[in-house]
Amino acid sequence: MRPLLLQGHERAITQIKYNREGDLILTAAKDNKPNIFFSANGERLGNLIGHNGAVWCIDVNWDSTRIITGGGDGQLKLWDLETGACISTIDNTTSARTCAFSYSGRYVMYSTDNTMGKDCEIRIIDFNDPQQVAGHGLMKTSVCTSTQKGKVTAALWWNLDDGILTGHEDGSLCIWDLRNDLDKIQRVKAHRGIINDMQYNKDSTMVITASKDNSAIVFDSDTLEELKKFPTERPVNSAAISPIFNHVLLGGGQEAREVTVTSAKQGKFDARFYHLIFEEEFGRVKDHFGPINSVAFHPDGKSYASGGEDGFVRVHHFDQTYFELTFEGEDFTPLEGGNY
Amino acid sequence: MVTTDSKTEPLPDSEMEMESDEEPDFSDPEDFVDQINDEELLADLYQKRPAEAEGLESVIICDNIPVIDTTEGTRFEKLKTVLQKLFRPFGDINSWEFPIGADGKNKGFMFIEYRDASCAMEAVRALNGHKLDKNHTFIVCPFTDFQKYESMSEDWHPPQPQPYKSHGNLSYFLLEPDCRDQFVVTFENGRKVTMYLHGFQEDSVLLERENFSDLAVMWSPRGTFLATFHEQGIQLWGGEKWDKVGKFKHYKVRFIDFSPCEQYLVTFNEGAVSKSTAPDLSEDERKPCVIVWDILTGQRRRTFQPSEEIMWPMFKWSHDDRYFARQGEDQIQIYETPSCGLLDMKSIKVTGVKSFSWCPTMNIMAYWVSENRDVPARVTLIEIPSRKELRSKNLYNVADCKMCWHKNGDYIAVKVDRYQKLKKEGNQTKYSGMSFNFEVFMIREKNIPVDSVELKDSCVTQLAWEPNGSKFAVVHGEGQHASVSFYQVKQASVVLMKRMEKKSCNRLLWSPNGQIILLAGLKNLNGTLEFLDTGNDFTSMVATEHFRCTDIEWDPTGRYVVTAVSAWAGDRSDNAYWIWSFQGKLLRKAAPTGYCAFLWRPRPRSLLTEEHLKEIKKNFKKYSQQFSLKDRASMSKVSKDIMEKRQRLMELHRAWLQQKHEKLEAQRSLRIELRGGIDTDTLDANPDELEEETLFILVKEESVPLPA
Repeated sequence: MRPLLLQGHERAITQIKYNREGDLILTAAKDNKPNIFFSANGERLGNLIGHNGAVWCIDVNWDSTRIITGGGDGQLKLWDLETGACISTIDNTTSARTCAFSYSGRYVMYSTDNTMGKDCEIRIIDFNDPQQVAGHGLMKTSVCTSTQKGKVTAALWWNLDDGILTGHEDGSLCIWDLRNDLDKIQRVKAHRGIINDMQYNKDSTMVITASKDNSAIVFDSDTLEELKKFPTERPVNSAAISPIFNHVLLGGGQEAREVTVTSAKQGKFDARFYHLIFEEEFGRVKDHFGPINSVAFHPDGKSYASGGEDGFVRVHHFDQTYFELTFEGEDFTPLEGGNY
Repeated sequence: MVTTDSKTEPLPDSEMEMESDEEPDFSDPEDFVDQINDEELLADLYQKRPAEAEGLESVIICDNIPVIDTTEGTRFEKLKTVLQKLFRPFGDINSWEFPIGADGKNKGFMFIEYRDASCAMEAVRALNGHKLDKNHTFIVCPFTDFQKYESMSEDWHPPQPQPYKSHGNLSYFLLEPDCRDQFVVTFENGRKVTMYLHGFQEDSVLLERENFSDLAVMWSPRGTFLATFHEQGIQLWGGEKWDKVGKFKHYKVRFIDFSPCEQYLVTFNEGAVSKSTAPDLSEDERKPCVIVWDILTGQRRRTFQPSEEIMWPMFKWSHDDRYFARQGEDQIQIYETPSCGLLDMKSIKVTGVKSFSWCPTMNIMAYWVSENRDVPARVTLIEIPSRKELRSKNLYNVADCKMCWHKNGDYIAVKVDRYQKLKKEGNQTKYSGMSFNFEVFMIREKNIPVDSVELKDSCVTQLAWEPNGSKFAVVHGEGQHASVSFYQVKQASVVLMKRMEKKSCNRLLWSPNGQIILLAGLKNLNGTLEFLDTGNDFTSMVATEHFRCTDIEWDPTGRYVVTAVSAWAGDRSDNAYWIWSFQGKLLRKAAPTGYCAFLWRPRPRSLLTEEHLKEIKKNFKKYSQQFSLKDRASMSKVSKDIMEKRQRLMELHRAWLQQKHEKLEAQRSLRIELRGGIDTDTLDANPDELEEETLFILVKEESVPLPA
């Protein structure tokens, strides 16, 4: 089926997210207006106007009422999803690189860049405190440069509301404990290059990391034990795990400035599908004419969206053959009640 | 003795004046004893002091000269003249001595003193072993040899024979039951090397080495040895356990060449070796030189010190290792093995020779000479060692020639670049109105008939003979619009079989068995590949590509072909090699980081005769049945292996899931609590809240006036 082409941005896409129900797609790009689309037909619900620079990250809470965005202008903005109005703005000296709602939606974490002589910081806001929401003071802050080389480049909440899982520029993964003053619990050297993206599977039992070292790795999210590895020949910018199948989707490609030859073949910008358990590649989708910067599965697993350096977001609905695809040796019977 | 210090400062003027007035007394006092003796003082002069043996180096002895009665007639004088003629060319001669016995006959040897020792050495080198006539072969040696042998120590023992060290069967790789081929892959600039055994589904690693070689690795032509380059020389490896089977000490070797039968190795180090790297060598030995080695014994056969710049390979070998030849100014020098001396003591004089090449199966040499004023260019075939001219052909208006032998030596095709106009601009000659001729010599036919075909096109990129066939293919034209033409030799004439136009192709690669040809557009043609079956009306089997492919290599049996993007070709990204079947089916891809080169292990020529081959072809069905059975068996084994692997992974995953499942169950209530009492574990958490609305949107409004 022809993909839906969502043309809402003027510059490279930085992050795509579905809301929990899957009816909305939130997209952030290097232009200053994040967009919200209907996932079913690609119609635009609206955009969020207020940032003064590239928007690096976007997230939505579980009941789809609030959106947060962080940008290169150093602002972290809180939006009302229904009206698109900016509720609050928190100013920082450096770019807000990552942001995420906690499981309950009570907390927001974000991290800042280590530029202009500032350290990279991980900050937490508690929504129960109106002062914090208004930008007056933070609940917790942790400076991570003293012990950690390289800024945070990807972040997720860890174990519901208990902590933060961060991926760093130097390829390491860290868990920070929120209950214990954001102390570092664990550090794992996962990749040899910058970690571009991290995503949980549906029940958050595993996390997949995408790195510039040309590979994606699936970890046990509790122990950070490496479960599966997917090596490719190009930098991986984003990776996602299918909510319904044991499939993994990787998006990436040679960085635009490193592609010396004007041929899409050289860059290898395909979205690639691997089997999660067997680590075997089984499909590719040729689409973008630049590297893919972000991929996301629809929560129902029947479609996915990819956003590229070319500024387009494409929504692909899988053909029937995809659902009929079987792997010899795979007993695909989900555990009872395992559909988390 | 007066001692003066040369470093004393010049005397001031006032003292100089004083000197003129009165002569000071310089003589030593009576009891003066010199503290320094002459040896110390004049060490440099003493070193040059004439010794008793001085001049002996320039004396040589020549034995085995004819014995003649000197009292009888002028025959002795004649002999003297002959000998003088022989020995004079090497330098000025100071004196001759022909000892004469009491009976009036000369003693059968003579002494010659040259003015210069180097001339004497040259004479020894050149004339030792010279045949004056049937019964007289000279033994020429320097006079100093006598001293050398006199001072030989008495208790000399002949060297103990070294026990034979077996390296096992060096051809063991040919005994592989499934005839699987080996190959070697080098990466990270040639330092890392991995040896593989090609497999039906997977390649198994035989050997993995880091820092195996300084430069690269190279197979010998029959695949027996693998050569590695090191600071100190060349190392050969072979046998089942990859033992060191040969070591050739030649510092900083950059180029090597094997003889076709693997008996000799030629090595060359470009640039002189510094004293610090090789303190054990003399000044002379450190100069760049070309060495011919005997591979089995490890001995030097001959050393050449090239005076001018050389093109590698410096020597071209005949197919049976008996001769090797190089081209010089107006001559071809052919050396004979094992002596490594010039064949018949003289090179072949060919005025204006441009290039030559050996027939791959017979001792026939082809060369061509360029045009010179009114003398036309000429291609000649001669037989070695008789030097008999077998065939020659004059060619007119020739700018350049390229000779291309058929693998079996059945034919030689000479590509002749012909011009219509010629313009001389200073030292450069410019040709215009180019056309191309192919002169095909049919070596096996009586009198060697020649046929020629003409091709009018802007350029001819490559000509390639079909191995084991009578076809040749030519790429002509430029870039994307090149054409490929196939010609066949039929009853002593060459006919065009097929011309394919607009092929993006710059390289032709025949399968080693013929029939299948791979047309490739390497490098700037982006790696297009086309597999053609020339035995079946030139049908294109597969047209595909390996993007920016730089190298292609057929395996020696013609079953597989490898396309590769090498880091050595300047492309740093996407370094990989792909293995294809000869039908153009992609079997495997591998992308080791910093991949450099892929080399199939060569195989020697088949020992089967024509009849044998025919027999096999006749019973093809019988054999193919056996093989397809084997294939199926290995196929099912592989799929079984994959299934086993998958099952193992599945088991692991299931165990992991079970463990996570328990944790998730335990956390369930917490999750519900965190989200305000709503269970969001399923996608549509509150299906009751969902409402479906249908909206009608007015898209367009139009008012149309009704007709009155």
